[in-house]
Amino acid sequence: MLIQTFNVGKTYKNGIAALTDINLSIDYGEFVFLTGASGAGKSTLIRLLFREEPPTAGQIMIGGRSVTRLTVPEMVRLRRNTGVVFQDFRLMEKGTVFDNVSFALKAVERPWPEIRRRVPEVLERVGLGGREHEHVMNLSGGEQQRVAVARAIINNPLILFADEPTGDLDPKTSGELMQLFDEINKEGTTIVMATHDQIIVERMQKRVLTLKSGHLIGDAVGGWQL
Amino acid sequence: MKLSSFRYIAPQCFKSMRNNGWMTAAAIITITISLFLCAFFWLLLLNINANVTDVEKDVRVLAYVDFDVVPAERKEIEQELKWIAGVADVSFVPKEQGIHTLEERYGDSDLVESLGGVNPLPDMFSITAIDTNQVSAIAEAVSQIEGIYEVQYGEGTVEKLLSLTDGLRKFGYVIMGLLALCAVVLIAMATRLTVQTRKKEIMVMKWVGATDAFIRWPFILEGMILGLVGAVLALGLLLFLYSRAALYVSINIGFLNILPLSAVWAPATGFTLAAGFLLGLIGSMFPLARFLDV
Ligand SMILES: Nc1ncnc2c1ncn2[C@@H]1O[C@H](COP(=O)(O)OP(=O)(O)OP(=O)(O)O)[C@@H](O)[C@H]1O
Ligand SMILES: [Mg+2]
Repeated sequence: MLIQTFNVGKTYKNGIAALTDINLSIDYGEFVFLTGASGAGKSTLIRLLFREEPPTAGQIMIGGRSVTRLTVPEMVRLRRNTGVVFQDFRLMEKGTVFDNVSFALKAVERPWPEIRRRVPEVLERVGLGGREHEHVMNLSGGEQQRVAVARAIINNPLILFADEPTGDLDPKTSGELMQLFDEINKEGTTIVMATHDQIIVERMQKRVLTLKSGHLIGDAVGGWQL
Repeated sequence: MKLSSFRYIAPQCFKSMRNNGWMTAAAIITITISLFLCAFFWLLLLNINANVTDVEKDVRVLAYVDFDVVPAERKEIEQELKWIAGVADVSFVPKEQGIHTLEERYGDSDLVESLGGVNPLPDMFSITAIDTNQVSAIAEAVSQIEGIYEVQYGEGTVEKLLSLTDGLRKFGYVIMGLLALCAVVLIAMATRLTVQTRKKEIMVMKWVGATDAFIRWPFILEGMILGLVGAVLALGLLLFLYSRAALYVSINIGFLNILPLSAVWAPATGFTLAAGFLLGLIGSMFPLARFLDV
């Protein structure tokens, strides 16, 4: 198993219990949707899985290791193999598309010729070919979202966590993005994607985990369960 | 971390220095002023030391020998003097030599004759101390020795001069310490501001798996650059003003012995650059430890 959680809970400092008693397993190469109403705890679960925040109960194992007990080099290695698309993008507004995407490679100290080669390639894949020198401030919400996706997948991660990556996209563009995710998944990347887009979930026919008020209430392939 | 990664780190550092232009300027100006004043005090102390050492060398204890002491006893006294703790050197000055010194000082060719054929001076010992601080203790010990009827040394003046230079030295160190602290604080503030304005980038770097070193280096580099730029400016100002001051003093205040620029520029350069570098390093480490737990 790639990802396992054991009785995981998260209560925020303000007392809100965002997640309660979550038990789930995700295998290598799976494509999993995380659905649920707004406030159900999707973003919280993703934040726990890539260790932006620690759980307040239970254990999270990735690759058989408890993520709260990793050494610093192990942590760095895990992060290098994990891509994240945030619900709020978290781009550097002052930079260009190239600045934002290349940043992920610079930060892990890849050689410059490789960066020059791979950034245009990945932008092509997310449908932003030839736009590297535009400032992200001047892009539409959907375009910014795709910059965030490009940044997350450029390192060929083993795991991709995506929080509402189609939130700002029109149906056609989100269809294209889902096709891209499908390709990446077939190349071997495990994908965990939070969404409340019923159409996408029904069309893709993947495994669906359903959250309701912080509880895991459904785990099935295919349909929408709310 | 790879050395070649500096090609990614250096631009981050310059970009943030440009984006926080005012803070960068404020930090550099503070460092320049602090280092300038530090180095200035240090040079002042060097010069005071040089002048004081001249005076200190002249501090000796004169012990006048009783007239009825015979040469054999005199040898014993000399031995005893040499045994006193802190004594560097003891030399015997016979009265003939004493009168000769006086003759030279007053320009009289034969003082003994003018005084009626009798040399009124006693024989004496001239004693130097290893450490000028011990002069009064030595004088006290010397006065206890039998056969010595009087002891002289520049009592009040020596002590006053010594305590004055000592006070100046201590004052100088305190001022230098305070100025260094100011510089460190300003660099820390600049680094902290950079950390805050770049919070998002730092987070993204963490999430994509940048190493600690990679995340920290731009800030350390920034601190070092601030420190070094400040140091270079301070040094330029210092050497320029010093050469002017040295010229002025040597022309107008002849009795002061000011060290020439050629004697001070090398240590001053080393001192200022090293201090700037260190201050930058320390200043940028503080906020990093506190704001960047990865
Ligand atoms: N940082 C936080 N501090 C306190 N409470 C939080 C925090 N983040 C989320 N919550 C709370 O936790 C619960 C779950 O939030 P979460 O963001 O995980 O929901 P979500 O399923 O992602 O919703 P959405 O579909 O709107 O993105 C909510 O009640 C929310 O108010
Ligand atoms: Mg959410």
